[in-house]
Amino acid sequence: MPGFDDVPGLLEVKEGHGETTAVVETTRLPEAGFYLRDELGFNFLSDLTVTDYLGWGEKGVAGYWGHPSGRDLNHPGSWGLSRVPDPKPKRFSVSYHLLAIRRGAPRLRVQAWVDDGEPVPSVVEVWPTADWHEREQYDLMGIVFDGHPNLVRIIMDDDWEGHPLRKDYPIGGEPVRFSGEE
Amino acid sequence: MAEVKKKRLADYGLKSERVLWRGKGPGVFEREIEPIEDRLLLTTVQKAVAWAQSKSVWPDTFGLACCAIEMMSIVSSRYDIARFGMERFSSSPRQADLLIVSGRVVHKMAAPLRQVYDQMLEPKWVIAMGACASSGGMFNNYTVLQGVDKIVPVDIHVPGCPPRPEALMEGIIRLHEKIQAGVPPAYEIRGVAS
Amino acid sequence: MAVASRRTSAIDPAVLRAPEIYPGSHIPDPIPTILLVEPRLRESEDILQVNFGPNHPSTHGVLRLVVDLNGETVVGLRAIIGYLHTGFEKNMEQKTWWKAITYPERIDYVAFQNNELVFVLAIEQLLDMEIPPKAAWMRTLLCELNRIHSHLIWLATSALELGAIALFWYGFRERERILDLFELVGGTRMHTRYFQTGGLAEDIPPGFFPECRAFTERMPSSIDEYETLLTRNEIWLQRTVGIGKLSAQDAVAMGQSGPVLRASGVDWDLRRDEPYLTYGDIDFDVPVYTGGDVYHRYRVHMDEMRQSVRIVDQCLDRLEGMEGEPWITDDRRVVLPPRDELHTSMESLIHHFKIVTEGYRVPEGEIYATVESPRGELGCYVVSDGGPKPWRVKFRTPSFVALEATATCMTDALVADFIAIVGSLDTVMGEADR
Repeated sequence: MPGFDDVPGLLEVKEGHGETTAVVETTRLPEAGFYLRDELGFNFLSDLTVTDYLGWGEKGVAGYWGHPSGRDLNHPGSWGLSRVPDPKPKRFSVSYHLLAIRRGAPRLRVQAWVDDGEPVPSVVEVWPTADWHEREQYDLMGIVFDGHPNLVRIIMDDDWEGHPLRKDYPIGGEPVRFSGEE
Repeated sequence: MAEVKKKRLADYGLKSERVLWRGKGPGVFEREIEPIEDRLLLTTVQKAVAWAQSKSVWPDTFGLACCAIEMMSIVSSRYDIARFGMERFSSSPRQADLLIVSGRVVHKMAAPLRQVYDQMLEPKWVIAMGACASSGGMFNNYTVLQGVDKIVPVDIHVPGCPPRPEALMEGIIRLHEKIQAGVPPAYEIRGVAS
Repeated sequence: MAVASRRTSAIDPAVLRAPEIYPGSHIPDPIPTILLVEPRLRESEDILQVNFGPNHPSTHGVLRLVVDLNGETVVGLRAIIGYLHTGFEKNMEQKTWWKAITYPERIDYVAFQNNELVFVLAIEQLLDMEIPPKAAWMRTLLCELNRIHSHLIWLATSALELGAIALFWYGFRERERILDLFELVGGTRMHTRYFQTGGLAEDIPPGFFPECRAFTERMPSSIDEYETLLTRNEIWLQRTVGIGKLSAQDAVAMGQSGPVLRASGVDWDLRRDEPYLTYGDIDFDVPVYTGGDVYHRYRVHMDEMRQSVRIVDQCLDRLEGMEGEPWITDDRRVVLPPRDELHTSMESLIHHFKIVTEGYRVPEGEIYATVESPRGELGCYVVSDGGPKPWRVKFRTPSFVALEATATCMTDALVADFIAIVGSLDTVMGEADR
């Protein structure tokens, strides 16, 4: 795996579960994209995902309870410590999943962090397939991609208000009525 | 073999000069058709029309999602729907009698669905196939219409996710029975626009 | 009102280059996914804009295409999707991990178990869990049967659109046999929901292996039948050769994968290059053609069906010797205890209760799992916050990306060709809209 030290705007490189994540400064994403595509050979953009971390860590989720043979209720305290997940730097993370089509199939996740209202530069010039992915994330999450040639809604109705996949958007639907209910 | 009294046309209520002249015997007309009387069938016009309608209901191709794949498989040779005269799926709603809404209907698709339904000519029936068309299915959220009977009047709901082809056949056969029994289509029962 | 806002940000304009990433690319400029009518054509010719609306007879589902025609030639094309957006991703955030496995199947409703597989693989990678070999081989077998199922539906519907109506009946005849196998294993024909975190939901029922063998013995002759009808058929060749060419560089730039990429000459298959499940131990070939047109995509699909039958045979060889082995891992944190234990052990009962009601917890982290679905690279990006419900699930679906390439394939296409091209991209709208 070639080193990622020369990627423009690189902030940190994380490893986990067999994957490498490179966190990059938001404003330098297209530069980093060109470098990764031309110098390091990541010519295939698999996926572009925006994750909303509003409410992250508020519910006080415990760590991993128990051990492989089961929850041992006879020995309390052997369950692992309760932990709240680490807070994230900003509200939204934009993850680009890259693949280099060559032997070994190296994969890389490039991540950039933005707040609500902050625009993200578009990478359509680097990987044209990002066109619809960015439109979809604009539609569902409300992230504006600067420099995108056609940033309009793609999945929801053209006059839909709101961005459905945000955490403060309700799931919607109807309460289920049961027969025989008063 | 017991002697079964054959029904004459007069027993069905066909009256001729008898109305005016009680006590008169069978007229010329009745004497002439006597040999073929047991081969004639008398029914009301409505029943005849309903029988004809139920035997060739032409569905419209409104396949949306997973249920559409099961709908395609009733056209295939194992669950042959041509036995019921329904193999002619018409893409033009103007020529269709039955709208099988197969799959989840989302808000964006609700307007085209209503337009297709409006273009169909009376009499027209709707089958809501599957859980998603009947009630929104497992998707109780911002985008899926919770039951297609919010926008079109539905005659038969077919449960399942997706319903087996046999289940859809059951729904279709019940629809045929409904039509033959003379039950009006759902838009008449509910008094909604068709 | 949805208005595209183009606020400026601190980007050096010299960095942004033209989208023509290499000379000779057919990717339209400036919007890669929309073919715009040339202005001089608008003035000189009579351009007709036709709407191939969401409800149309080709059975690809609810895709809307707005096409500009100059006579019979397509000079402008725009695809509009979203007519089947079911909100899977948001719904899955509301359910526990176990219950959420039911949802991905409905995304690509033609190759359903591949979607289940990718989500379950993502959970298992986050849990760092190993699955027993019997489960891995059975999963491989079912995914390959799904591949054959998907290709049969593709063949049946694409041939139907191009006029070879007989193949619809033949394809569905074979498809019914595959669905019989699924019913034998999972209880229902489609959407079997047979994969579970840690392995399979139930043991493989007896009588499955002889039925599956009977299928694999008969399938190659059926594929021969289809090829006899089409491969050297003059009408088929006239309608598909040279239509919808997509070069290898364009395909990679537009993110294509699966048969479309392999028909354009790029030798890339995730089963072989990034093996998951047991594909590393199976001997199979990957068909690659260099034509890049509709005919070669058809050839790739047919050859893949043959290879899938080969893979199913090899899986059967292994599985027949695994009678009595466990089908799910025995990690009690995620797996229900065996039912007979529930009568005697209080801990097992509490386990069962907690797993079913609250759900098991997946450690914090994010992962992007990929499989080779019949349409291409199917990816699942999962973010977990350590709790019983997923925080974010995103499916990277190949049909969504394939529709992006419609404009690129449309150089000098006639209306009839455009139907063939959209069919050959093998899109399933449930996947494209999610």
